[in-house]
Amino acid sequence: MKHLSKLLAILLAFTVVAVACSSDDDTSSSSTSAPAATEAPAETEAPAETEAPAETEAPAETEAPAEIIYDHGVTEDTIKIGAIADLSGPFAPLVVQIIAAQQAYWDRVNANGGIAGRDVEFWVEDNAYDVPTHLERYEEMSDEDNGVVFLSQSTGSPHTAAIAEALVEDGLGAIPLSWYSGWPDPAFGQNVFESYTNYCYEAINAVDYLATNVIEGEVKLAVLSYPGEYGQDGAAGAKIAAEALGIEVVYDGEGAVVPGADQTPVITGLTESGANLVWVTTGPSLLAELMGGAAAAGFTGTWSGNSPTYNYMLLATALAPMLDSSYYQSTYVLTWNAGDTPGMADMVSALQEAIPDDPVSDAYTIGWTEAMAAHQILEAAAAAGDLTRAGVIAAANATTVDYMGLAPNQSYGGEVNDYIVRESYMFDIQADLFDAAATISGGGSTGSVLMNGGPIVSDITAAHVYEGACFTAG
Amino acid sequence: MRGRPNLYTSYSSESRLFPTRTQQVAIGIAFLLLLLMPFDLPVIDQIPLIRFLGDNSWLRIVNRMLIFCIAALGLNILSGLGGQVSLGHAFFMGVGAYTAVLVGGPGSANLWGWGLPIWIWLPASGVVAAVVGILVAPAAVRVRGLYLAITTLGLVFIGLHLSRVFPEIAGPGSLGRKWPKLELRLWKEENPILDFSRDGHWFWFDISDNQKTYYFLLALLTVFALWAANLARTRTGRALAAIRDQDVAAEIMGVPETKYKTIAFAISSCYAGVAGALLASISGQMPPEAWDLILSVEFVAILLIGGMGRVSGALAGTFFVVLSPRFVEEIIEWMTKQAEGDGAFSGLWDSIISLGSGDFGIVSISETALGYPIPYSALDEIIYGALIVIFMLFEPLGLYGIWINVRNYWKGWPFSY
Repeated sequence: MKHLSKLLAILLAFTVVAVACSSDDDTSSSSTSAPAATEAPAETEAPAETEAPAETEAPAETEAPAEIIYDHGVTEDTIKIGAIADLSGPFAPLVVQIIAAQQAYWDRVNANGGIAGRDVEFWVEDNAYDVPTHLERYEEMSDEDNGVVFLSQSTGSPHTAAIAEALVEDGLGAIPLSWYSGWPDPAFGQNVFESYTNYCYEAINAVDYLATNVIEGEVKLAVLSYPGEYGQDGAAGAKIAAEALGIEVVYDGEGAVVPGADQTPVITGLTESGANLVWVTTGPSLLAELMGGAAAAGFTGTWSGNSPTYNYMLLATALAPMLDSSYYQSTYVLTWNAGDTPGMADMVSALQEAIPDDPVSDAYTIGWTEAMAAHQILEAAAAAGDLTRAGVIAAANATTVDYMGLAPNQSYGGEVNDYIVRESYMFDIQADLFDAAATISGGGSTGSVLMNGGPIVSDITAAHVYEGACFTAG
Repeated sequence: MRGRPNLYTSYSSESRLFPTRTQQVAIGIAFLLLLLMPFDLPVIDQIPLIRFLGDNSWLRIVNRMLIFCIAALGLNILSGLGGQVSLGHAFFMGVGAYTAVLVGGPGSANLWGWGLPIWIWLPASGVVAAVVGILVAPAAVRVRGLYLAITTLGLVFIGLHLSRVFPEIAGPGSLGRKWPKLELRLWKEENPILDFSRDGHWFWFDISDNQKTYYFLLALLTVFALWAANLARTRTGRALAAIRDQDVAAEIMGVPETKYKTIAFAISSCYAGVAGALLASISGQMPPEAWDLILSVEFVAILLIGGMGRVSGALAGTFFVVLSPRFVEEIIEWMTKQAEGDGAFSGLWDSIISLGSGDFGIVSISETALGYPIPYSALDEIIYGALIVIFMLFEPLGLYGIWINVRNYWKGWPFSY
């Protein structure tokens, strides 16, 4: 032990010397993390330009100003944006398609000259649906030297919540791939720019629409959901609608559908309740289990559920006739090749060119619209002459994203009740329109037929005063 | 007589932590490098690996690795030293994490939390996990091998169920809640004395949050590793080794099996609890689903790859399992750059990497969909799985076994057959 302590003492002394000798050097090299000397060229230009944006903003929009200031993730000829996506976790099959659509979008933007003469570099990293990994990826993307200027996707609710504070600290904005009703709450995610409406409003809209237009006679509602942020947010919305419409909730299975558990009690509760409308907030495989189980027990009610509950691939299973006759699909965006809007025609033709051999899917619209939002925000920032991270955030808060009919237009600035999106879409399922082997090149359909000719919005949703998430813990 | 390998003249010299001079020097140099690693220091930053790991994103991975090391050391005490298989390690990590958030997290109308400082919640997470370990032990010490694995496997599912029963503690499913940060406060005052979660200035240096966290975790790991290494030299350690090697014989010799197995469970759970609390804390937000079977299996894999029963094995295994996916990724990115360029070997790299649709290659950097060519996000899982199989088949002693072989080769050189 004596030797050991001697050795340690020498090492310690050596450390101190090494540290002292290098302190001069270190201040300059370690300051890369602080906004300082090293990035002189870009930074020094900034002061001269600081007043410029104010002037250029007024004429703006159409013509990019000659000089654009920028800091991290942007150079004279590239704009780097990032996506932290689940490429190998539970949502990989969908997220891979979402990313493919985004990639196709950016490729087209670059082919058309990019943004403000700069190519867009779309950087995708895998989070494997794991929070620590997401944070490690975020650290790469937020790096001031090699990082990005904006995150056009952050997959997952807890993952995005975990980086929400860091986003504000780093002055970086992100579009979440998650539709929890907590995102518009500024206390929860100030730099999180959610897209479309949320699970809660979607449920209100759909339950109101189905109760008014589809169900004949007195409506008896059953609510089935996963436990947690997604399931219970949707269930909370369905119950808000039921209360406002005076509908009796005959079976309350909020949080009762536990993945991996035996669903018999839930199915029995549902079939014995006498419900004629079922609102489900789960995933596709559990929807199949619940619908199949209920049908076997003689249940004949009408079904619908939050967007992630349904997947068009269920039409390739034995459940197809039942989905056709009794399921109504609810979503935030238009499904593949549904609805007659310029945005859909544009997306379908672009993807036919970019990824003709991939299967048809409803997920492309999400990736495409995410990219549209990021694109329009970056264009606005470029038009204002400010492609710094802060400039992009400011542009996001001042922009109304025009989805060309693919989704309700979206803005982020001002009071939350003025900009929160309240519209969603309803679809009737027609199984015979769907061919499981269909590829993008053929156009085709995923079997969803738009109802109401466009988005729906319930009076209850329209009047709802947003004060925070519909569902919070406890 | 001094300095001869494997010649010991007393028990105390044989059981020293670092018996040879070479080991002492090696450990000293390694520790010095670890201390200097996060900095851009002259000379040090020329060492490629070290420089590489000093990067912020890498440092975050290294921090996770240090936490996994603590948990792996815990499982090593139970499995490596005590010979008990456990698939419930993630459960104990969860217990620690939720103790931390209950004791140290902020409370609200829907969430329970007492907001106490780290010097209470961090030890509490270890103690509570240890107590839960003792409570579980009576059921676990009665069974062995496969049966014990299944018994402890059940814990993971009980844990997931409890997280749904108590959303006041765990937060809503699939969202979770905020964990207390690594900040040292005396009590609940506004400004922490030491803040590991924010950039700051120590002595003459600007120091980032990840660097601060790194030092904090390194110090903790050192304490836990010394504790684990010392445990093997104590009466408890010898008793556990006896039970591992032949439990019936151990009992006949007078080693109380139940008592020592319970102790092993308690200590192992304590390690897991502290690691779980730290992991959740540096992540900031964790969903209850994070403490699942996959996490438990990861620790079993760490011990299999690193080598059971050795502190160095557990550390090497963690190093390998946590860092290798990113190394694979870096290598593929480097190979892609080579293939795109026109260096001397670009043709060779091009035959491995697929640069775009239609280009020949096994691995693709641009492809994200599963299929052929393999996207790199799937490749590290394939390599990881293959390595477990290879280690089980060819080197059951793990990385530690490889090290022993290499060492023996050079020890006997030039007569190393």
